[in-house]
Amino acid sequence: MDAQRAGSSVPSGRAQVAEPINEMFDADGRARPECAEVIAYLLAMDSQRLAELGDRAHRMFQTMGVTFNVYGDREGEERIWPFDPIPRIISPEVWAGVEAGLIQRAQALNAFIADIYDEAQILKDGVVPRDLVIGSTQFRHAAAGIQPPGGVYITVAGIDLVRGADGRFHVLEDNLRTPSGVSYVIENRRMMTRLLPELIRALRVKSVENYPAYLLASLREIAPGGISNPTVALLTPGPFNSAFFEHVFLSQQMGVELVEGRDLVCVDQKLFMRTVRGLKRIHVLYRRIDDDFLDPVVFRPDSLLGVAGLTAVLRAGNATLANAIGTGVADDKAVYAYTPAMVKYYLGEEPLLPIVETYLLRDPEVRAIVLRDLDRYVVKPTGASGGYGVVIGPRATDEQLAHAREAIEANPAEFIAQPVFPLSVHPTLNGRIEAGKASLVPRHVDLRPFVLLGEKPRVLAGGLTRVALREGSMIVNSSQGGGSKDTWVLEA
Amino acid sequence: MLRRIAGSLYWAARYLERAQWRARLVDVNYNLLLEVPPRHPEPWGPLLQITAEQELFASLHEKVTEAAIIEFFVFEKQNPSSIRSCIEAVRNNLSPLRHLISSELWVAVNRLYLECPEWSAQSLAASGVSSFFADLQRDFYTIEGIIDNTMPRDLAYDLMEIGTMLERPDNVSRLLDVKYHYLLPKLEDIGGPADMRQWAAVLRSASAFEAFRKVYGHAIRVNRVVEILVFDPAFPRSMRFCIERLAHVLARIGQEEEQAVCETSPCADLLAMLRNGTAEQTILDGLHEFLIRIENMCARIGEQVFDRYMSLE
Repeated sequence: MDAQRAGSSVPSGRAQVAEPINEMFDADGRARPECAEVIAYLLAMDSQRLAELGDRAHRMFQTMGVTFNVYGDREGEERIWPFDPIPRIISPEVWAGVEAGLIQRAQALNAFIADIYDEAQILKDGVVPRDLVIGSTQFRHAAAGIQPPGGVYITVAGIDLVRGADGRFHVLEDNLRTPSGVSYVIENRRMMTRLLPELIRALRVKSVENYPAYLLASLREIAPGGISNPTVALLTPGPFNSAFFEHVFLSQQMGVELVEGRDLVCVDQKLFMRTVRGLKRIHVLYRRIDDDFLDPVVFRPDSLLGVAGLTAVLRAGNATLANAIGTGVADDKAVYAYTPAMVKYYLGEEPLLPIVETYLLRDPEVRAIVLRDLDRYVVKPTGASGGYGVVIGPRATDEQLAHAREAIEANPAEFIAQPVFPLSVHPTLNGRIEAGKASLVPRHVDLRPFVLLGEKPRVLAGGLTRVALREGSMIVNSSQGGGSKDTWVLEA
Repeated sequence: MLRRIAGSLYWAARYLERAQWRARLVDVNYNLLLEVPPRHPEPWGPLLQITAEQELFASLHEKVTEAAIIEFFVFEKQNPSSIRSCIEAVRNNLSPLRHLISSELWVAVNRLYLECPEWSAQSLAASGVSSFFADLQRDFYTIEGIIDNTMPRDLAYDLMEIGTMLERPDNVSRLLDVKYHYLLPKLEDIGGPADMRQWAAVLRSASAFEAFRKVYGHAIRVNRVVEILVFDPAFPRSMRFCIERLAHVLARIGQEEEQAVCETSPCADLLAMLRNGTAEQTILDGLHEFLIRIENMCARIGEQVFDRYMSLE
């Protein structure tokens, strides 16, 4: 197989952007069966009451301090979590397929990480180009030789899905480093049980409350061998991190300490936290900081967020890190193009979840075709996450396109292009109570489900539905004007 | 419990106490000035002496006016001890450790914190200064009541109690010291109506006026004021009461330690001083020197507690 081309494709002709589907209504404007009850309920409300839903949610999130931080001019600006009270419904049949696909994908990606930091058989077999992996900004030489218990490298995966014109969920990208958002799934549900309790009860919605217990179980399962009652801690970069609310939330719900780098110390290749009663051993560290900041001995020497000597502790097998060092190489946007091949290679199965067609711009032929019609593609930097640096061709200004073209020509290997994907739309509340009325308008949505690997895989029912609140926008990131919805997976 | 968290609880409690104290101080003096035309050329100046913030104030404001003082004490962001800054400090210390405090406490603190950005000279004028402080005091009492009623008497509670009980005597000491030595320098004024009004204000600033009346009747004498604010075993804002509480909590925390902080100097010495001393003798020996000693001893206890339970070194 030609490794340079394997899994990668060449754009053919001028792709037409299909019309996005509406998740609640079919093309003829009829309610989809799983949404009928919710629609009937919402239609029975007058616009005043509808508007009140949004306002009550905002006020309650404010009082409870459900916030996220935005990086920007002011350090650590705190914003109220943006929430849309119209729930998104997923039928049990659709969810069963998605869940199986998520587990399959997480396991294949985990096998890939285990392989490339060990024998790298997949590279030798030419299924994935070696330079793409070794040259990735997320490849970590320090990860070689660290073998986590149970072979679990990816304890938590956030796999972003989008629903296409055919109604099928496609994988948009993988988040395998420190995926965030799960606390808002639970807070959104708690909010909905206050706003519309009778509707949730009537529909029999799958619970999401068990996630912290699932996460704790998964973390305890990967503790170093021979430890019967392991101590777990959550490592946060601190209150200025965009996801700090979530770090507090999860540590609280799991009943584990929320530690910062300065709370930790490594002694005799063991990891400890400094408590009022002296040093206490930690066996499993659920870290929410990037590799680069983990250990100043091995990574960035100027980092104050991690703890010196951690890598040596991991190598000695005296503590487990979740997720392991170097998992980011599997969520590289160029490596993404080869993920269906990984599923076949490691599991011998056909991928259950399709990915979005992806063109690697390091290929001169591919690049030439894409650059000819740059305004028809979405361009993404391979190493970034959180929607940063993404250029959506049809919505970009000439200046932005010229900028992107320049960047691509300077460093073609650092970009991929995808056809514009017709993200599905979902009815979303528009209008505030001051205006005295509200209406429902279609807005683009995506879905971030959470998969946990331990002794066995566990999947949170549903996930975080993000919604682009601006008309026509496809950017769902909360840092860039996105909102969120509660996701209701119905019981079978 | 993590040592860093122990520090956050301690400082949250200290800032909460400081905010309350500042609120009472400004409120009382504002009312005092309403009643009598002030003789003092800068009637608000003593407030800055009490808090020892003359320099910081001068760097931010040209004149010691009522408006400037209220801004400085209530909502000035550049003043780390303004009521607003204190409330922000309480909230930011508690925010990362919500799991250790009751959700009621977190919501009450967060609610107050969210109000702060709306405070301004205009909003104070609109609601009236008195009712502003009355509302604020009620919020503080609510928070204290929640702490008392929802927090288990465990390590987290004890660390907060240590913060409160070290902050409070410090504030009482400064209040007494300034009144005694600076407010009324002329000997012939002692015992006069202005002097009495000021001592009454001191008692009100410490929320001690009614308690005083109950124990000592109507006649306000300096030694009686010192008695209730320094040596009284029962009044909750007296220094002795605070240090008794402090020693009790330190003993509870130090149960399994070789020597608890309260058994060592200076805590043991301070407690003995407050149990055995009298107002009359103390004034005779020099109140100012006595207060300075107490402030230093409190500071040293604070350092001991920090080294033993909070320092990351």
